[in-house]
Amino acid sequence: MKRMEKYKAILKGLALSGLVALSSCDNFLDIQPTGRVIITTAEEYRSMMTEAYSIVPEDRGLATFRSDEFVLNSTVAQEDLNSYLDIWRWEDVSPDATTSQFNWRAYYQVIYEANYTIESKDKITEGTQVEIDQLVGESYMLRAYMHFLLVNLYGEPYTTLADPYSSKAVPLKLDTDPYNVLTRSSVGDIYDQILSDIDSAEEYLNVETWETGFNYRFNTISVDALRSRVYLYMGKWEESLAASRRVLEKRNQLADINSILPNHYTSVENIVALEQVMTPYYDRAGKVNREVYDMYSSGDLRRNKYFTRQTASNIIVAKGGSSEYSCSFRVGEIYLNAAEAALENSESGIGDARNYLLAVMKARYNDSYYAEREAVVNAMSRDELREEIYAERFRELAFEGHRWFDLRRTTRPQLTKTYSGETYILEQNDSRYTVRIPSDAVAANPNLAN
Amino acid sequence: MAVLLVLACAMPVLAGVSVSGKVIDAATNEPLIGATIIVPEDVLKKAGSNVRNVNALTDIDGNFTITLPDGVDFMECRYVGYTPESVEIKGDVKDMLIAMTSSTTELEEVVVTGYQKIEKRKLTASIQTVSVNDNMVGSAMSIDQALAGQIAGLSSMTTSGAPGASPKIRIRGTASLNGTQDPLWVLDGIPLQDTELPTMEDLQDIDEIYSTSIAGINPSDIETITVLKDAAATAIYGARAANGVIVITTKSGRSGAPRVNFSTRLTVGPKTDIDRLNLLNSNEKVDLELGLLGSSFTYRENKGQVARIIEAAGETNAYKTGGWNALSQATQSQINSLRSINTDWNDILFRNTFSQEYNVSISGGNEKMTYYTSVGYNDDQGNVVGVEANRLNVTAKTSYRLSRKLRVGAALFANRRVNKSNLTDADGFTNPVYYSRRANPYQLPYNADGSYNYDIDIQGREDSDLMFNVFEERDGTDYELETKSITAIFDGEFRFNDEFKVVTQIGLQLDDANKEEIADADTYAMRKDKERTTLASLDNQSFLPDGGKKTASSSVNRQVTWKFQGEYSDVFAGIHELELMGGTEIRKTWYESVNSTGYGYDRKTLQTKPVIFPNEEWAELYPLYAETYSENAFASFYATGSYTLLNRYTIGGSVRFDGSDMFGVAKKYRFLPLYSVSGLWRLSDEAFLNEKEWLDNLALRVSYGIQGNIDKNTSSYVMGDYNNVTILPGNTEEIISVSSPPNSRLRWEKTKTFSTGVDFGVLNNALNLSVDFYNRNGSDLIATRMLALESGYVQMLVNWASMRNTGVEVSIGSRNIHIKDFMWMTNFNFAYNANKVLREEIPSNQTTPGRVGYPVGALFALKSAGLDDEGYPLFYNKQGEVVTATELLKLNSAGASTLTAEEQRDLYTYIGSTDPLFSGGLTNTFTYKNWELSVNFIFNLKSYVRCTPSYNPANYDRGMNSNRDILNRWTPTNTNTTFPTLMNSTDRPAEYIQYSEFGLYEMLDTWVKRNDHVRLQNLRLAYTLPEEITRKANMERVTVAVEARNLFVFGADYTNYLDPETMGNEFAQPIPKTFSFNLNVSF
Repeated sequence: MKRMEKYKAILKGLALSGLVALSSCDNFLDIQPTGRVIITTAEEYRSMMTEAYSIVPEDRGLATFRSDEFVLNSTVAQEDLNSYLDIWRWEDVSPDATTSQFNWRAYYQVIYEANYTIESKDKITEGTQVEIDQLVGESYMLRAYMHFLLVNLYGEPYTTLADPYSSKAVPLKLDTDPYNVLTRSSVGDIYDQILSDIDSAEEYLNVETWETGFNYRFNTISVDALRSRVYLYMGKWEESLAASRRVLEKRNQLADINSILPNHYTSVENIVALEQVMTPYYDRAGKVNREVYDMYSSGDLRRNKYFTRQTASNIIVAKGGSSEYSCSFRVGEIYLNAAEAALENSESGIGDARNYLLAVMKARYNDSYYAEREAVVNAMSRDELREEIYAERFRELAFEGHRWFDLRRTTRPQLTKTYSGETYILEQNDSRYTVRIPSDAVAANPNLAN
Repeated sequence: MAVLLVLACAMPVLAGVSVSGKVIDAATNEPLIGATIIVPEDVLKKAGSNVRNVNALTDIDGNFTITLPDGVDFMECRYVGYTPESVEIKGDVKDMLIAMTSSTTELEEVVVTGYQKIEKRKLTASIQTVSVNDNMVGSAMSIDQALAGQIAGLSSMTTSGAPGASPKIRIRGTASLNGTQDPLWVLDGIPLQDTELPTMEDLQDIDEIYSTSIAGINPSDIETITVLKDAAATAIYGARAANGVIVITTKSGRSGAPRVNFSTRLTVGPKTDIDRLNLLNSNEKVDLELGLLGSSFTYRENKGQVARIIEAAGETNAYKTGGWNALSQATQSQINSLRSINTDWNDILFRNTFSQEYNVSISGGNEKMTYYTSVGYNDDQGNVVGVEANRLNVTAKTSYRLSRKLRVGAALFANRRVNKSNLTDADGFTNPVYYSRRANPYQLPYNADGSYNYDIDIQGREDSDLMFNVFEERDGTDYELETKSITAIFDGEFRFNDEFKVVTQIGLQLDDANKEEIADADTYAMRKDKERTTLASLDNQSFLPDGGKKTASSSVNRQVTWKFQGEYSDVFAGIHELELMGGTEIRKTWYESVNSTGYGYDRKTLQTKPVIFPNEEWAELYPLYAETYSENAFASFYATGSYTLLNRYTIGGSVRFDGSDMFGVAKKYRFLPLYSVSGLWRLSDEAFLNEKEWLDNLALRVSYGIQGNIDKNTSSYVMGDYNNVTILPGNTEEIISVSSPPNSRLRWEKTKTFSTGVDFGVLNNALNLSVDFYNRNGSDLIATRMLALESGYVQMLVNWASMRNTGVEVSIGSRNIHIKDFMWMTNFNFAYNANKVLREEIPSNQTTPGRVGYPVGALFALKSAGLDDEGYPLFYNKQGEVVTATELLKLNSAGASTLTAEEQRDLYTYIGSTDPLFSGGLTNTFTYKNWELSVNFIFNLKSYVRCTPSYNPANYDRGMNSNRDILNRWTPTNTNTTFPTLMNSTDRPAEYIQYSEFGLYEMLDTWVKRNDHVRLQNLRLAYTLPEEITRKANMERVTVAVEARNLFVFGADYTNYLDPETMGNEFAQPIPKTFSFNLNVSF
């Protein structure tokens, strides 16, 4: 009997403790961690895409060190020399251990997030179809643009290749499978994919203008702006010209340089205000090459706007160093793309080419200088005009991340630089016009060596 | 005896004898509840009784009543932890008082697992206990440092010689590939938070000061340490116990007069001697720089004082063509003057240490309550100037018997600890230990006028205009971590009756850490910040205000644990013993941290100045404030049971369900089941061995358990963290950053453990031997997998591997000689742990070999075959042919290997494992009268480490010092050497890139070295004052001791390194050698 009572007490105790524990347990464990989320809604996809935009590398800015825009000299901080000197003097075989690197993974991280949005386009919840379509369209644009930057850094220029389909560049990443170890695709295949992605983007995009502050996002106009550039880099003049024209039908106003820099994010001609290009670090490190500065005549309004001349040799870039000057595509470039493409496309295009060029000149020169130059341009031969378009393109788009790519796709000239008494030469058609794939990428995927 | 028998026979048949009485503790007079009164079987037989079993238990007041069959004149009283009492019976007795004395023999002891107290005789699991005393702790500042070599199967690797630095502790090898491999620490039943060590993978971790909560516990408050090793022991702790459990039991008061104990330890440590590093002296360094300047090796050509002197004189070209004789007289004498300077960096960077420790405790109590109170202070200096740690502890424990049924206790452990170190720059160049190897011997710290002489070779290609001076830096920077920690434990026990009780325990832990990093305006650290923020647009000024900087970070770690459990134990028919326990545990933890930085800081005025950032980008790069917060919750249910038959067959089992908050993981993973079964057979109690007088104990143990674990950091969904970003000015948006791709094949991690052991004690326990064998199989283990960067990510966590740990542990305790006045005792423990990866999914992009069939710490290397006739390394390929790097790796023009990943994997050869195959310790204790000498060796054998090469043949920085291997490098005139030539990028560009960027040189087998060692950890001589003297002084016990720690280490070749244990890390502080004086008085 006594024992029975004991057991009752035990059972009571156990039942009580079990009850207390079980009832409160599930609630107790439901903790929403601060700041973590599983991405499901359109809003969350948008936030993820915002992250993708925010990590787009500024390598077009870093490539500025490789072109002829900057000089490095003894006035540059030691830290900056440590980071950029070997990029500037094309020392690719034995760069100092402290040298900055061109990005690799960051491009593919943007592509991953773009691919994820594309793959889940039918699973996104809580958003209108219009919103979701716009997200998907932007994802295609980002994927196309990232591959475009990659192929132009790490691949041979399309225009110099006899067979673009036989020259390997970088892997094309079109899915989110992390286990898929890729091999390098050919320059031709990459360009084909870029064009195909732009076509897909066109089907989905629906926002023509973003509010200020959000205008880093791709819009419907950017489709043709990117096409204009891609076809130009391929030497497909007709397609490039057609794309430029479609852009100019919608946006043809050039910024009033007296009141705003054209690459300012609020400038009327800014189509996509995404890349900063001249980050605070790059902007701080380099000095403007005196020869570049001298390309701007005193009648060129840009000279005093683009640059701050501290002393005769210490000229710094004024159109960068802050996210205010974020610009990936703008109308000025489109005019110059159109001028070049029109000229190359046909014998009869020379008139159009002149007109596009003069449109830019008119906006950038003072009246008297413009009148002077207009006469000269109108008298130019075809070859002279080509040189003039190149020169104006250099002047207009200097320090906006175009120059290195333009050198690559056009004449690949010999470049000479001098630092501390030593002369460094990048020969014409030098193999260093193509950047070596980073060793950490090769170490993580040996296929890249082949 | 015969007389007694006759008497018994004369007794009337069937009458029986009734005995009643009370069982008490002889020392405290407290009643003993649940003591067994039993008539041994043989006595029953002898008395001719039919009854096989006669027994009774004492009740809650210690009272018992028993009726003995006729003829029985003898019974025994047994109680756990007490010596059995034999009682002769002569007729009916009432109010018999049986006083039992607590025993010290092995089997009667209880083992504290943190959840339960288990009698050793019923112990089915692999558990080992050490008692903590002066001899064991020595001059170690915290208890984890003292555990090395004490317990078979517990390996302890010292990672740094800094005071209070925690060693890396592994119990039975490495269990998990990802996440913590540190054991779970339990303080008086409450698992501690914040005990994990930083991974030490990058140098930030080394310069970062940290203090685990274990470092806050005063070793002199600890009574015993119990290590739970196998699944049968740890299953009750759940998933966190996968790496084993270390249970700390602190001292408690005992009934009796107040007892005061005072102890002090004063320790001196001689300065570290960096002669072992074999660094170049000034003469050698100057010659080296001269030689290199005249050679074709151009890496960082303008670095070093020699190049600067020649350059300043404008004679660089002259020197390159004409050599030494082409230099002007003035230049030559300037260079020669460098040769006569030999700065003693050893003396500047290291120091002799003096450390002190004081402890006072008072304990005592009576029947109703006991108490233990202590205060301790410990101040430790590090060998590196500026490194020190101190700790103040206050401990108060009380226990009350409120009624016959209810007992409650409260314990409070409070401590404040301060760690100080040198503030090093983000790149680690100014880490003093690293700097001692890199500072040029001709570099003077002061100019002739007493001003600082700056080192401008400290980093980078160019001469640093940041200027570094170790004295200025030491004066101008402060780095301090102050931790305040309070742990409170409340427990209560309510006993319903003799068999059933409930126990509850609440543990609160609060660790509040405040870290301060201060750099004055005139320091390298501050100049570095200033230079990085200097803008041409601000007239080449920094936007940071003038002055220094101060970063204050605080972090608070809190936990609450509540345990509630019921325990039942009963004995049926005297031969069936049953124990059941079931309970629930909930735990919640919070972590928050705040980090803020002020610029323009001035220590005198304590003022900072506002920072005017030129734009948002810069503001983001120099954050002034950051905050984090997280909370986690856990709920668990557990039960254990054991059944013992005839006091010699025991089976046990335990089960636990661990639940925790999971996010991004399906709910089915919310509760983890863990269980174990185990058995014990005590052979020595069997009839056939019972008679053997010499045999004290022989037992066999077997256990098996399964643990599941799910990694909370992985998810099968695409998951992200919220953050803010400003892409364009004035528009801050929410972003979700995806830090890793989803683990689409997420599964349970499962570990199955089989363990068996034998315990053996003979000759009155003069020899005790325990041998354990275990086999632990982990499958679907989560591990980091490196991804091709085209995935967008560097790595992700996947269920990826299976692994087996097999091991043997041997503990031997022997009393070798025990004669009058002299005793020699030996404790030896030895562990063998073989770890093998059974299955590993090798990603197709992996270029280093998979570890299938090898240990998890496997080191692979390329077989070197000397040097070719240009001084470049040669290799053996798999066919045994001698080939160049180009041939071996089939390099393309860009220096990358064109072999497939699989072909690259095949080039490597297995060398050894980073984890020692054998480890253990040997302690010999000699006692003669009042003298005691103990000698404690620890060893770790058969382990390897990959060292940083003496120099990199492609990127040797001549601006810094290095060891003498560089002098023996290959040159056309020194061809009989294994050290390669310094390479020029134009000679063999592809190979150059391999050495400069792909790190080919350190993959050579030359740099994988054995770091086996045997360390004389402790040598201690103690003298206890004779009792007559102490009595007179009204004292109970006085002991004085001298002790030497880390007196020497025998190791495999560690030339050019300070210590075998820190060989792999150029930044770690060496393990110090110390001498202590120790006084311990109790009264």
